Amino acid sequence: MKNMTKQMNILKRYPILGFVLFGLLLASIPPLASAGILKNGYVTTIGGTLIYAIAAIGLNVLLGWSGLISLGTAGFMGLAAYISAYLTMDLNLPFELAMFLAILLPTLLGVLVGLVSLKIEGLYLAIATLAVSEVLRKTFEELVPFTGGFSGKSANYPTLFGLFELDRTTTYYFIVFVLVVVMILTYNMMNGRLGRALNSMRGSEAAAQAMGVNLLTHRLIAFALATIFASVAGVLYVHFIKFSYPTTWVLKMSLDFLAIIIIGGLRSIYGTVLGAFIVTAVPDLFLKQIPYFDNLSYVLNGLLIIVVIIFYPNGLVGIGYDVKKLFYKLTKRGTKNE
Amino acid sequence: MNNMENTVLSVKNLSISFGGLKAVDSLTFDIKDKEIYGLIGPNGAGKTTVFNCITQFYKPNTGEIHFKGVGGVTELTTKPVHEIIKLGLVRTFQNVELIRELSIIDNVLIGGHIDFKANTFAQALRLPNARREEKKYREEAEKILENLGILERKDMLVGGQPYGILKKVEFARTLMARPKLIILDEPAAGLNDSETLELAKLIKKIRDEYDCAILLVEHDMRLVMDICDRICAINFGKLLSIGTPKEIQQNKAVQAAYLGVE
Repeated sequence: MKNMTKQMNILKRYPILGFVLFGLLLASIPPLASAGILKNGYVTTIGGTLIYAIAAIGLNVLLGWSGLISLGTAGFMGLAAYISAYLTMDLNLPFELAMFLAILLPTLLGVLVGLVSLKIEGLYLAIATLAVSEVLRKTFEELVPFTGGFSGKSANYPTLFGLFELDRTTTYYFIVFVLVVVMILTYNMMNGRLGRALNSMRGSEAAAQAMGVNLLTHRLIAFALATIFASVAGVLYVHFIKFSYPTTWVLKMSLDFLAIIIIGGLRSIYGTVLGAFIVTAVPDLFLKQIPYFDNLSYVLNGLLIIVVIIFYPNGLVGIGYDVKKLFYKLTKRGTKNE
Repeated sequence: MNNMENTVLSVKNLSISFGGLKAVDSLTFDIKDKEIYGLIGPNGAGKTTVFNCITQFYKPNTGEIHFKGVGGVTELTTKPVHEIIKLGLVRTFQNVELIRELSIIDNVLIGGHIDFKANTFAQALRLPNARREEKKYREEAEKILENLGILERKDMLVGGQPYGILKKVEFARTLMARPKLIILDEPAAGLNDSETLELAKLIKKIRDEYDCAILLVEHDMRLVMDICDRICAINFGKLLSIGTPKEIQQNKAVQAAYLGVE
């Protein structure tokens, strides 16, 4: 018990270590699957979940930390997916270059939206980002030479440095690696000057400005980070699932991201991953096993959001504290009895 | 250039109107170095508007505002609002604008926002320069909190702290910027008598220990009369009188503005 609290303290002092350990834990899924302990399909489902988590962390930077809403995450993610697929498949560009361009172009668009966000806020910003996303989705449908239209666009597992051709399992490891990097970078940024500035912008714009926070640059940074993470997720998606359809990048997906961060926890990095598991993996892994529950996963998500908002307004990540409290209560009672 | 010897802020012929309403009408006053200066007036006199013009939340129609701070004398009206703090001019807010979800020390560190030199990239990777900088300002913030007597609360969240503590945190945040002039917007609002007394002590202490002038926009006459070196009374955006607390108390125009004319 004492040993355990000691370990917890080490994790608190070296949060980076925590993220790395978390990554190792996630990396243990494929060996467990090949050993037959987990189902083979879990690798694909969990890999997809982690990809969602990456984009959701970006949305959390935007909504959780900066207080700016976006319903356009799916559009940006899809744009990155199509660009990366097109560049690697049709133009035969190396994966790294394709990834770079597939992040850069959506990010430029995201920064433009950030400029717009200076003029509009709240619900209006939500509608504006939704409009951008819908324009993108329509483009995916109609721009057939580039996107394949309704029949979709295929891509391969990534080839790193032109040498290492990844397969499903190694791509999964690559996703875990990227997720851990994203978590660490986000942690560092949000616990430093930038995070404080974004927080102050959410709290009160007047106070933020009085403290020397330039609203324009910080809004642009927030939108840029959100689009970069969404684009990274889009690239990983198309090279892991190996297909991209216009029907994927719809409003429902953007709402899923919103659900992920609200269920998991605004401004919580682990919470975001937890939320991604609950929103995307749990319906796939467990609920679909229950007869008739197949199409009811939406209902569950809706109910879950309501329950979480009522009982855990700071996200399910708060359950951890409750469990800890209960744990201490129980152990304390134990020592009293001795 | 004006002669700004011994003067930290000089406001000249300041006017601003909203639609047809002249909120501030050619107001002129100046604040000396290390002075505690009161700006008073009945409700709707234009105090907050003057305040917002100085801090550039509003751009005045006419007039000059010179400030002697970091980098010499600056005409404030040429500066965007977020650059005012860089010159050494910091404000507080009437309703305490802090971030509830952050710890007290993180809230104080926001006051040091402009001092951080490491770029976002260096912060994201926790490069040595970013780490050093964070440590340096964290220590500075702790020193300020210790001086204000709330160091032991530094890691507590701001949300849920008593009002008196929040006021102190906001003070600590302004002090992070090493100000030459602090503008306090009704600091006594919402405080009880003993808390107001403590506030008066705190304001004097800050003036003495941090070498800055203080402009006080306040309703609480006792506080103003108690601590101000000089007072500027305005009504309907126009200057009534400038003088020591005693002079202001005896001024007929000020009495009329507050109590009405018999």
